[in-house]
Amino acid sequence: MVRIKERYLLVNIVYPPDPSKPAESSLPSHVVHHQPTTDKLTYQSLLKAIKTEVALLFGDYGSGSLDASLSIKYLSLATSTFIIRCPRAHYRMLWAALTFLHHVPIAHGSGRPCIFRVVRVSGTMRKAEEEAIRRAKRLIIAAQEEASCATSTLTDAHVLQEPLPTDITDESSDESMGEGDG
Amino acid sequence: MPPKPGPGDSAAGSGSNKRKAAQQQTPSGRGERRDKLHLARAVPAQRAEAALKDGELDLQAFVAAHEFEIRSLEQSMATSKATGSTRAFQRLPRGLRRRTASHNPKRVPKRLRSRAVKEAKQDKTPTVESRKGKPRTTRARIRAETAKRLGILAERKRRKRLKRAEAAGASPDSTNAIGKDDGAAVRKPRAKIRRNLLNEPPTPPAKFRKRQLDKTWLPTHVWHAKRARMTAPKEPLWRFSLPLTPNEKVYRPVHRTQGDRGAVMWDASYMSTIGLYGNQAGIERALRRIGVSQENCWNDKGRRWRMGCRSWSGMLSRETSRGRQQMCPSSIFWNPVPSDHEPNNDSTKKKRELFLRVHPSAFLEVFNELVRRAKMETPQLYVEDLRYEVGSIDITGPASTEALLSVLTPYSTPQQPKAAHAGLFQSLNGLTNPSALPANAMLGFAIQDPRLRYPPRKPSTPEGEDEEMRLLETIAEWPVESGTQPYGLFNRNARHAASLLPSQKFIDRRRSRITPGASLKPGVGDPPIPVILLASRSGSSTQTQGTWTLLAPWSCILPVWHSLVHCPLSSGGNPRFGGLNETRQVAFERGLAWFPADYPATAAGVEWEREQRRTRERAWAKRPKSKRVEWESLDLGAGRKGEVGNGLACDYELLYGLPPLDKADEEEPPSKPVDEDAMDVDTHESAPPKKAKDDPLHLVTVITKNTFNQLISSPDSTSPLPLNATLTVRITVLSRGTVGPCARIYRLPSTPLPAPTSSNAEVPATIPPQSSSSPSTRLPHNLRAQWLDRIPPSKTPSRQRPNQSKITKSDDMETRKRMVARELLGPPSTPFPPPKPNTTDIGGHPLVPDAVDLVGFVTTGSFCLSEGMGMAIGSVAVDKVLPDVRADGKEGRLCVVRNAGENVGWLARWEAI
Repeated sequence: MVRIKERYLLVNIVYPPDPSKPAESSLPSHVVHHQPTTDKLTYQSLLKAIKTEVALLFGDYGSGSLDASLSIKYLSLATSTFIIRCPRAHYRMLWAALTFLHHVPIAHGSGRPCIFRVVRVSGTMRKAEEEAIRRAKRLIIAAQEEASCATSTLTDAHVLQEPLPTDITDESSDESMGEGDG
Repeated sequence: MPPKPGPGDSAAGSGSNKRKAAQQQTPSGRGERRDKLHLARAVPAQRAEAALKDGELDLQAFVAAHEFEIRSLEQSMATSKATGSTRAFQRLPRGLRRRTASHNPKRVPKRLRSRAVKEAKQDKTPTVESRKGKPRTTRARIRAETAKRLGILAERKRRKRLKRAEAAGASPDSTNAIGKDDGAAVRKPRAKIRRNLLNEPPTPPAKFRKRQLDKTWLPTHVWHAKRARMTAPKEPLWRFSLPLTPNEKVYRPVHRTQGDRGAVMWDASYMSTIGLYGNQAGIERALRRIGVSQENCWNDKGRRWRMGCRSWSGMLSRETSRGRQQMCPSSIFWNPVPSDHEPNNDSTKKKRELFLRVHPSAFLEVFNELVRRAKMETPQLYVEDLRYEVGSIDITGPASTEALLSVLTPYSTPQQPKAAHAGLFQSLNGLTNPSALPANAMLGFAIQDPRLRYPPRKPSTPEGEDEEMRLLETIAEWPVESGTQPYGLFNRNARHAASLLPSQKFIDRRRSRITPGASLKPGVGDPPIPVILLASRSGSSTQTQGTWTLLAPWSCILPVWHSLVHCPLSSGGNPRFGGLNETRQVAFERGLAWFPADYPATAAGVEWEREQRRTRERAWAKRPKSKRVEWESLDLGAGRKGEVGNGLACDYELLYGLPPLDKADEEEPPSKPVDEDAMDVDTHESAPPKKAKDDPLHLVTVITKNTFNQLISSPDSTSPLPLNATLTVRITVLSRGTVGPCARIYRLPSTPLPAPTSSNAEVPATIPPQSSSSPSTRLPHNLRAQWLDRIPPSKTPSRQRPNQSKITKSDDMETRKRMVARELLGPPSTPFPPPKPNTTDIGGHPLVPDAVDLVGFVTTGSFCLSEGMGMAIGSVAVDKVLPDVRADGKEGRLCVVRNAGENVGWLARWEAI
């Protein structure tokens, strides 16, 4: 039997600190980075933005190959996380399009600047979910630790900032991406 | 796109309205199921406010939102698994899966059948129609009409017979009961066995007769045909329709059951039995002539064998114009003379009987040879062909004894107490390996019909040390010699009586009269079934599993088989059954050669090799040109092009410089098995020698391990080597790699520059001169050293090799940078321009030696699960390996093995078997 092959991308929306505004020192950086996304972001607006970006980057070929089975399986605005499904052969196009998105795509006007970070490419929904759980757990622990650190030594809060578990240079996420390569 | 248009979606078009309507009409239909699935897969998510506190970022809210996410994802994974879309037939273990179970709920076990029916209805799966409907084709219609008419005829005949019986005075009921139920009224005639002549296979029932015109079915054929892949109808193997391999995937299960737990069994009824009768001295002379010439068979050491308490197994051979030629492995056992018989010391007067069991592919050769020898004796001996009289079952594995114990119940009635051997057999409870018994132990007794105690039950497992000690004492003592009685299986009348088993219906009726669960007692109509049990060891060690061979009359194999396959084992499950491929696999895993494939120097082995060549040729020709191996363009490195010899064959013609087989001979069908049995023996006797003269492969002779060892120890050229001598070897690949059949075996190239050594003088002329001279000069001079470097140091865990330039994960950034810099700045490791590929090595592997160093071919080979590495059985030319082995016993036994059609060779070690 032939089975339609899919890929599930687990994506985090990350908000980089704004250099123009003074940083709120009282909050852990994780909380700031992974702050919730506005309710104006809907399934439709997100999909539309991705499709526009794909069309821009890859033209008709790109939109044709992705349109068929692109769908958002899970969108949690409170934690700025979503899982998106696409054809296995073309997940790199989707990834590239996500990388080129710089603002939260809302229906009217442009949203806040943000980064769409693909943290896991997997062949099943289940593994993407497992990864999301793992990351959420680590994020909770990291945020709480940082908060307790900050209360004890307020001055050193920024110096002590260790690399985030979800940082760009994180090795584990690189591995998981590599393993997803079809 | 993601939110599916729900039932209340106003934007939905007319098409979706229609669908909705359909959904509402069939509430249990597909739509609802889909909705349910969709609901189960949706993951609840929170809105942005959940992670904020009064519109501001907050740690507590952040943590709470993420905790909610974790919970909801976990919940979703659980629900989507619970509402999984697995169908009933997918939930079954592999052993219970059946073909087309997705379309036919009746193929699913009863407990899941209602679910399967429901699912099929929900999914609108097209299901099968009942076959009882109207016949659809013309042929089927005619057949149905004929069947109907025949039924009417039979009914009329029956009524007429009843009327006649009534007229005769007897009550119609009693005649019916006698005439129909136990089959006692019509006695089956005793099978005709002709002396010194071949016998006909038993006449099959009319229904199956047409299918057995040019082959014979095993007694368990119908059982096997449902569960195993059989030989193709037009291509029977050795005139039998044999199971090749079970339908299930069994490679790994068989590996486990034959050695670790459980049992594997085969219907080995295709093995041929030959009876030899006459005076002892004459039999001894005849046997010596066909290869039973070891002195310890005939001196005092062989007393037990000649008494009939042990069997003998070994190779049979015959004298030909080219010297002794091996025929096949065989086991031979005598019928004991009754112990109360007054000893007759004159061995010429003593009448003895013995059975030989040989492989069917060599049966004719052995039979003809035996007949010839028997006729030469005075007083004459005589030979009987008992192929279809005696059947057998082979069973191996730790639970084999247990399975036999629960199925074979010794026959005992008040008039006829059970034999001594039967008691001994029953005392073997707890034995896990038949090779723990004395070598080639043998038991003969009578059993009762296994259907009387069907289904078989687990025997009580022995517990405590006392039981174990008793078992060990029994094995050590092995009291089989006192009070020996002739084995029933040798008695033709006993065999015939055993074949008259009562019908299944009759047994079922008897069973319905006793308490449920109790077992039936053998009555007057239940004949004893004479059996012989042979325990054989694989190899000489007592550690590897041995095999039980159960011999019984041909027609009694089926009931025993039915009981054996349903026998519950204490290790769980039932005994597995195997096909021909599994016999080969088991032999390979135990490091044994398998007849006939691994015996290329026998006539049967040659026939097998020819057949394999034809099969491979067909498979090769069938592939598209772009996807098959192009033998001419194989690059062996150092400018050598093309495969050595025929890549689809173990090319002994090339190795020994034999003339190729005439094309005309090869074209004609190799064997014309039309009515071989019906032909006269005279034609048979003339046929095989003619064939042997034609086929050049028959010129290959084999030498045994013992002879080879003598050759090594004796100084050069004392005993002449037979022409084209070959030696069967077991090959262990030393590092990585596996080899398959037809792989080429090379000896290691000699150290000095290739000057023609003494062994090179025998290089056959068929190798083109340019291939033997010019490229060899281009081979690296240190090729032997390169290969010797490949020997893995040792199997000890001290394999910490210093890997310098490898960047490991644990290194910190500074070290990594430095390493990369060193790699970039340092001089290039390879010279520029890089050498052409395949001149000095092949992708890092040393080049294979030249064609002059070809010493043999692999006949069986693959990854061996019991050894955990590549293994192979092959044969090597003795004259080529002997000088090396004499010079250095260890290095001389190293070789390079290369698969046909590949250019990478693997270093391996061979040992004679």
